[in-house]
Amino acid sequence: MSELDTSAPLVVAENLGRNFPTRHGLLGRAHDVWAVRDVSLTIARGETVGIVGESGCGKSTLGRMMMGLDLPTTGSMSFDGRDLSALSNPEMRKLSRRMQMVFQDPFGSLDPRRSIGAQIADGLRTHNIVPGSEVKAEVARLLEQVGLPTSAAQRRPHEFSGGQRQRIAVARALSTRPDFIVADEPVSALDVSIQAQVVNLLEDLRRDLDLAMLFISHDLHVVRHLCTRIVVMYLGRIVEEGPAEKVFGSPAHPYTRALLAATPSLHPGDGSDGDRILKGELPSPANPPSGCPFRTRCPIAEEACARAVPPLDPVGEGWNVRCIKGGPVTPATAQEVHA
Amino acid sequence: MSRSTRKLILPGTIAALIVATVLLAPLLPLQDVRGMDIPNRFAGPSAGHWLGQDDFGRDVLSRLIWGGRASLFIAVGSAIFAAIIGTALGLLGGYFRGAVELVTVRAAEIILCLPPLLLALLVVTILGAGTWPLVLALTILYTPNYTRVVYAATQQVRGLDFVTAQRSMGTHPMKILVRTILPNVLPPLLVQMSLVVASAMVIESGLSFLGLGVVPPTPSWGLMIRSARGAMEVAPLLLVWPSLALAGTILTFNLLCDRLQSALDPRAVTAGGALWLRPRSAAAKKPATPVEADADAPLLEIRDMSIAVRDMELVRRVSLTVRPGETVALVGESGSGKTLTGLAMTGLLPDTLRVTGGTAHYTTREGKAVDLAKLDEEGIRALRGDEVSMVFQDAAAALNPVLRIGEQVAEAIRAHHDLEGDALQTRVVELLRHVGIPDPEQRVRAYPHELSGGQRQRAMIAVAVANNPRLLIADEPTTALDPTIQAQILQLFAQLKRDTPGMGMIFVTHDLAVVAEIADRVTVMYAGEVVEEGPVAEVFERPRHPYTAALIASVPEGGAERLTAIPGSVPSPRQMPSGCRFAPRCAFATERCTANPPKAEHPAPGRVTRCFHWETVT
Ligand SMILES: Nc1ncnc2c1ncn2[C@@H]1O[C@H](COP(=O)(O)OP(=O)(O)O)[C@@H](O)[C@H]1O
Ligand code: SF4
Ligand code: SF4
Ligand SMILES: [Mg+2]
Repeated sequence: MSELDTSAPLVVAENLGRNFPTRHGLLGRAHDVWAVRDVSLTIARGETVGIVGESGCGKSTLGRMMMGLDLPTTGSMSFDGRDLSALSNPEMRKLSRRMQMVFQDPFGSLDPRRSIGAQIADGLRTHNIVPGSEVKAEVARLLEQVGLPTSAAQRRPHEFSGGQRQRIAVARALSTRPDFIVADEPVSALDVSIQAQVVNLLEDLRRDLDLAMLFISHDLHVVRHLCTRIVVMYLGRIVEEGPAEKVFGSPAHPYTRALLAATPSLHPGDGSDGDRILKGELPSPANPPSGCPFRTRCPIAEEACARAVPPLDPVGEGWNVRCIKGGPVTPATAQEVHA
Repeated sequence: MSRSTRKLILPGTIAALIVATVLLAPLLPLQDVRGMDIPNRFAGPSAGHWLGQDDFGRDVLSRLIWGGRASLFIAVGSAIFAAIIGTALGLLGGYFRGAVELVTVRAAEIILCLPPLLLALLVVTILGAGTWPLVLALTILYTPNYTRVVYAATQQVRGLDFVTAQRSMGTHPMKILVRTILPNVLPPLLVQMSLVVASAMVIESGLSFLGLGVVPPTPSWGLMIRSARGAMEVAPLLLVWPSLALAGTILTFNLLCDRLQSALDPRAVTAGGALWLRPRSAAAKKPATPVEADADAPLLEIRDMSIAVRDMELVRRVSLTVRPGETVALVGESGSGKTLTGLAMTGLLPDTLRVTGGTAHYTTREGKAVDLAKLDEEGIRALRGDEVSMVFQDAAAALNPVLRIGEQVAEAIRAHHDLEGDALQTRVVELLRHVGIPDPEQRVRAYPHELSGGQRQRAMIAVAVANNPRLLIADEPTTALDPTIQAQILQLFAQLKRDTPGMGMIFVTHDLAVVAEIADRVTVMYAGEVVEEGPVAEVFERPRHPYTAALIASVPEGGAERLTAIPGSVPSPRQMPSGCRFAPRCAFATERCTANPPKAEHPAPGRVTRCFHWETVT
């Protein structure tokens, strides 16, 4: 780690929460549906924080709030020392130059009706990154930076494969020369060999441009490869966070252990996976279990777990877990997850 | 010129002709529209009056053309005015929501509640009859239609990632509306436009007919119909001409808007929809006569099978063997032909595709050998869902959304067995329990949308295994699922295989780790060809093809500093390299590789690789 890390973190989220109240029927009472609850997180320049969890656990909502695309119901989000909720619309638009997003669906994240070049140029023009006469050259440079031919600028999205589109989306995000990138499942829709291209690209960019990055994914292998710090979410809350080698090497929360066990491996264990597989499905966020949210699926749950939401307690340096029985456990299949 | 652009020519030309005729009316050598000729009233067509003369002896042709001028101006004019205002309101309301939405969309909805003709009458009564009041009335009348359509489309589009990307770029909202959202709501807008032009022409005629629209003696189609009605018995043709003009014009505009809509689609998809649901053309196949199979014959043996669309080969000389009780994984990148190979086995290939070569010998329960590739529709239907069945990636799309899942399972059973009533019901519940759907007695009555993704997948698996198939083809059945749910479904497949020892399975996936978890043998496909085949453990231990080796190395497992990425992407079927198809991306490629395609080699018993340099790969 470089000495840059000693400076204040670039992105600070404090107790972020997002409620989407929903009404059942015309006259029904509005129900609170907390997509994200009580999430605090900091990201420094040059750091990649990985968020893992299953669909519906609030990963994307958290990412959108950190981008200022969605306002938190509770808590606050600041970027480079400025509170996002205190900014006026024009100020926010100006600041958004420094925060960019890469999306999951390579087929939905580009406007099907406009050329690649025009879409990359949008950011350049909106924020006057380069003088108008140099826009074309800059678009070409960006395309080259993500490994695409400059002739791609004239073509429209449907002429590209998934991996190429994702590179285009990355080029578009880079066009405004951001400091912070939220990548929401950027490789989930891609084939493995193409995944590797995009992961390597993101890794290079992070290093070369000293970006702060929030990498959202449900693929533990990719997250482990790319990220320095891991945040595991379940039903809107952080259940474990810490350095990648700790969280994956000796997970302290039973959910993290279950996720690791459920992830298929090139070197599968002895086939006795049966008992390690989590039963049941994610409870509805509209009706979460009392006490520990993981209680209904937890293999080691006990009565005390129903009493209150466990606090996020430290189990090591920068390593926290939300479980009353939490503590590092080296998994039985350690050969596949050695640090 | 693309096919969809070509399809614009016909309606475009007719519409242009109509508009040109009407616009150029003053220049055309027409008879005077108002010139009366009472002695010759109701005269039939003649050299001087091609379409005859009306009740005042005026020339019908020139009245038709001048009348079209009024009718078209009113209809198209109000359709365009209404489109501009309505689109603006809909865009603003759909994008900003809140107060803006209230003012624009809700206000428009109030207008929609009023009966259209009444509203038009109101405006015309206040402002008096005439062309401009009519345009105003119709504009007010149609604005809400556009608002509503554009509003709905905007709401859909605004949630898409590329709009969010614009927002996160800091683009001004107005710019996003005009540059990004407007072009993407254009298709439904055009449909609306064609409907409105048609409806406006009808209402214009109606109002003119009632004497509230265009004021005589200015001709309009509505007025012409009105006056012709009075003389219907004497000169029925007088009614026919304006009616024909009206109907023809409306049809032309509808067709034009329809074609324009598909031409505007950047993907230019002209044919669409679920191709595989259409019946296959009958001529292609002759029934194959089954022969007795060898006692130790494999369950399925595909040899050199090719699949092509017109002259383009998508799958080339694929061979694959499944023995009873064996799970064969079919891996490769998307577009490598895995799905097509699977579909061909169940006779579910889209009807534009053909098996152009090779055999697929399947051994039936009765020990007969049949060639699935040559079987006719009837023969394959008897096997499909009974002996051979398929599980798809997207359960939400594969299940019928309006049928309860219990009925869908029952239907699968009934297709091949005479089971009815309670016995059938018991079997259905038993199956649902077997695939791990909790509380099956209640859930038989659930619709697919009432189930979670994992449970829908289970329900589809229940449909597939309803008749204890001997060959189960699963196409990426866990790709769309979360890790813990994927693990559950993989466990279900393992359990199904334990419970039915003779069942062979083809498991299509792009995830090598899943292959390692579930399969006995693996067949690796690249660009429509099998490049490597063998027992999973051996292949993963020591791949003998550069593509397999690179695929394995690109999985981010283990501690590699940097992932091995395969450069470039899969070649398109139109531009296949002439030698080895992997050569442009292969780290081992030599001149020899680009000259000729490599043949299948056997590095060890039961293993196949298609590479010149297999010995040096690992
Ligand atoms: N109905 C079709 N018409 C024309 N080409 C098709 C059709 N279906 C699939 N293809 C093409 O066939 C190739 C193989 O497709 P597929 O079997 O779906 O691959 P995979 O399952 O390995 O992703 C691809 O190039 C695809 O574009
Ligand atoms: S608090 Fe209890 S239920 Fe929650 S994860 Fe820990 S042991 Fe399981
Ligand atoms: S034949 Fe040549 S190009 Fe093809 S895979 Fe082997 S080494 Fe690579
Ligand atoms: Mg497929």
